[in-house]
Amino acid sequence: MDRHDGFREFVLARQQALTRTAYLLTGDAHLAEDLLQSTLVNVAKQWPRLSVDGNPEAYTRRALMNQYISWRRRLRREWPSASPPEHGVSHDEETLDRIVLRQVLARLTRKQRAVLVLRFWEDLTEAQTAEALGCSVGTVKSQTHRALARLRALAPELAGPHSLSTFQEVTP
Amino acid sequence: MTRLRRALYGIAEEAPAVDMAALVDQALAGRRRRRRVPAMMAAVAMAATVVATGTVMTAMRSSQPQEMAAPGITDLPEGNVGPLGYAYETPCKVDEKRRVDCGAAEWRVVTGAGETYRLPQALAMTAKDRRVPVAISRDGRKIAYYSRKDRAHVVRDLVSGSETTSPVTVKESRIGPGSTLVLSDDGRYVVFDPREGSKDPGLLIEVSTGKTVKVPGKYEAIGVRDGVVELVRYLKTDLWLMPVTGGGKPVRFDGAFMGFSELAPDGRTVAAFERRDEKKWIQELRTLVLLDVSTGRKLRNVPIQGLPEGRPVMFTGPWRSGSELTVVVDDEKGAHAYGVDIGTGKAHPLTDYPKALYLTLPGIVNE
Repeated sequence: MDRHDGFREFVLARQQALTRTAYLLTGDAHLAEDLLQSTLVNVAKQWPRLSVDGNPEAYTRRALMNQYISWRRRLRREWPSASPPEHGVSHDEETLDRIVLRQVLARLTRKQRAVLVLRFWEDLTEAQTAEALGCSVGTVKSQTHRALARLRALAPELAGPHSLSTFQEVTP
Repeated sequence: MTRLRRALYGIAEEAPAVDMAALVDQALAGRRRRRRVPAMMAAVAMAATVVATGTVMTAMRSSQPQEMAAPGITDLPEGNVGPLGYAYETPCKVDEKRRVDCGAAEWRVVTGAGETYRLPQALAMTAKDRRVPVAISRDGRKIAYYSRKDRAHVVRDLVSGSETTSPVTVKESRIGPGSTLVLSDDGRYVVFDPREGSKDPGLLIEVSTGKTVKVPGKYEAIGVRDGVVELVRYLKTDLWLMPVTGGGKPVRFDGAFMGFSELAPDGRTVAAFERRDEKKWIQELRTLVLLDVSTGRKLRNVPIQGLPEGRPVMFTGPWRSGSELTVVVDDEKGAHAYGVDIGTGKAHPLTDYPKALYLTLPGIVNE
């Protein structure tokens, strides 16, 4: 058995989740792939240790978030992609929501965006989110609060009554 | 489910299919590709390289600069070797069983005359596998690197052959992910940023004396010239022309700008790209915006003509004169520098560089 087989197996088993998280963070197919690639390089280097006594799942998530937040803000890394993918011609409510949310996400800071993705896409608790981001629970609370305030300002329809319970759950 | 969650799930489901097996192979080889190509080109390249997993490595090897495979490359000799054209880092080695050895990664320099030399004294990878950058002055005459032996930065003059080792020791462990290094035109100063984009402060070092000035972490250095450090804070966007002794204050631009050039020879203008409409990002990256550094006002837009079709600018480089700025685009063959007349916007080709994973060009900050 190749000593890298464990790493391969681990990544391939989570490829959909990893790809989707990276895509939510970047909003761009190429950047998502770049982000995944950079993250996997880091995880691969640590794999011998992780596979013995580590927590590969948590490490990978944290590596992904660290990589995303610390990405250099220069041209080749920063520029957003073109328009969102088109899915048919009918713009129903759900389609519009996705388009609007893409625009809102693009206007958040990286940490705010990461917090939204971790809390509402990965369904992590505040403590788990703090661990993934390497920050305190208080920071998670404040970043979530700011992200949701921005969401309310830019897309109040997404912050409708059905979402209030979510907001109250995470607001300090 | 809330509308927010539903929309997030919807976007997540639009995530593209990624060839994860190929990414795993590349990760195991310690390689990162530079992807900044239009979707169609990327799709073609991917289709060509992942027909079978076994072909990926072969394809990647063949894409390295020719010099990397050339036998008999010697260490950089002492004395005058002439100005540099560029530097590149060799990739980790992968054997037939795909075992990876990153300890062999090293920096190599290529002179303007085309000679290639190894630069083993320049650390390429830290013990924690963090990449260590080098920087080349805009005239190619000097190179700055981190020396593991000296635990400090060294500036080598490629023409006089002189070397100056900074008396400021920097622990190797301080070099974090995304570390950057900037070298002043005259070789007197380096700016070391341990982790670009973080709050970790950078350090302006006068190499001969060891005098230092802290650079706030939220600013990133673009260049050092004529006793002034050009610093940019992204997103807001602020530009701070900080004297090398410290002081000065930033000016704020009205808008979000990125890809800043060094200060133009007139001392009042910088060029950048404005980020406004996500749907027009390629067009925006082909339109320079001239900015007044004293008032923060936008002076005018300069749409670039004559770049390869559909290619966004990857970097802005040095000003060649008061009216011509260097920009760099890349494609599947490598990087290509163009001179852009900022009066007419017309671009003409200057230099082609080979495709390399990590390429450092004169006067351009590299991570």
